[in-house]
Amino acid sequence: MPGDLERGVSFLGTGVRDADQLARSLASRRRLTSPTAPPDPEWSWAWADDLAAWRNEIEALPSTDHVVVCTWVEAFPSIHLVELEPMRWLQQVEWPTSLWFTTLVAAVGRCRDGGSVVAVLDRPATLDAIGRGPAVVVAEGVINLVRSLAAREGGRGVRVNAVMSSRHSNVDELLGSPPPLATFPGRIDVEVAGAVRLLLSDDSVGITGSAVSATSGRR
Amino acid sequence: MTAAGSHRTVLVTGASGGVGRGIALACAADGWEVWIAARRETEGAAVAAEVTAAGGRGRFVACDVGDEESVRATLDEVATMSGRLDGLVHNATSGRSSQSGSITDVTVADLEDHVRVATRGFYLLARCAFGMLCASRGSLVVMTSEAGFEGKRLLAPYAMVKAQQRALVAVLAREWGPAGVRVNAVAPLAGSPAMDRAFVSDPTMQERVMGRIPLGRLGDATADVGVAVRFLLGADARFITGQTLMVDGGSCPSP
Repeated sequence: MPGDLERGVSFLGTGVRDADQLARSLASRRRLTSPTAPPDPEWSWAWADDLAAWRNEIEALPSTDHVVVCTWVEAFPSIHLVELEPMRWLQQVEWPTSLWFTTLVAAVGRCRDGGSVVAVLDRPATLDAIGRGPAVVVAEGVINLVRSLAAREGGRGVRVNAVMSSRHSNVDELLGSPPPLATFPGRIDVEVAGAVRLLLSDDSVGITGSAVSATSGRR
Repeated sequence: MTAAGSHRTVLVTGASGGVGRGIALACAADGWEVWIAARRETEGAAVAAEVTAAGGRGRFVACDVGDEESVRATLDEVATMSGRLDGLVHNATSGRSSQSGSITDVTVADLEDHVRVATRGFYLLARCAFGMLCASRGSLVVMTSEAGFEGKRLLAPYAMVKAQQRALVAVLAREWGPAGVRVNAVAPLAGSPAMDRAFVSDPTMQERVMGRIPLGRLGDATADVGVAVRFLLGADARFITGQTLMVDGGSCPSP
């Protein structure tokens, strides 16, 4: 790990297996585990109180230079959007959207001036998007939230970026040409963690509001 | 009249004013039947009358796009009264869309309202309209924004859901393509009551917005934006799907 990361990484994420592996790969010094699933999916967001408690937990953290956010939910079976039942939509799109928003905004608030925040996203390639609409929708919203936060936080030198991986979605059927790198879909501890370290480090001091694809070239 | 001028039945959400009204009137100019789907009955019915006066056939249906039962009832009424649906435009947006402010002040309720109208509304409309759009080999258009490409410092939740809409376009275009149904987005920059409110909400916004438009003006809801949407709904765009058409006078630098 580069020397400028020696003071450690704060990791805010769910406890699902891939997120846990990422936290360990980054040797995160401080870790908070978010709620993973909504307590009771309803059209009205009954989970607002849970998110408020989670936000308070994050805001109680000491300030830090390096923050990684990875609120992946469980990987769901592939399904076309019109066949996705409304309650599944809530679980797979609206709940993750609200969890990401709450976590990322609060996380940026805990980052010291001049620090770096990285959101690590499960974003299946557009070529592989059929049946994986919820993951694509959530990820694209967060990428744009990263851009909004980067614009806001740049004034105090805080960089906000995203890393995209399709490792978590278990894409098993590829359309068209194969990915450029045979390592597709990549490994959490190698390709994904490596891209995160790059964006946390001073080697990326001029990069903010960007989404780096750690997808072995798959788009 | 364009090559796409044959009879079509389309539904436009949030069409009781602003850009939605402009889309409806552009479709009316080609003689189309246009359903005005909105919550505000008086204003929506007035736009429906304008559609008829402009050469189309205007109809109004009350619709709350974030409510599953309301969306289903809306599409059922179109099926019953018109017997077909060739195009659907999701233009409705949260009433909070033009409220600029610090992202740290955004509440969960604020975010829910944005998601409810923009993203959930798109999903519910798509789900309920898919059968009719398959039958007509029709077209779905969602009105997104340049904010959906760039993020917005003071309009963060709005920018987030506009990006989600573009993602839905990318996914649905691939899932619906084999059925012959096209899905696209339009990112307009037009004068509208919502834009007026945004300028009032953030006094520096007008200068920022106008300063980056190469064509030097805001678009007209009908003559600039409405006709672009009509193009994507019509047969002239039959080989276009999964795209976002920028109708913003060149404002957004990197779509």
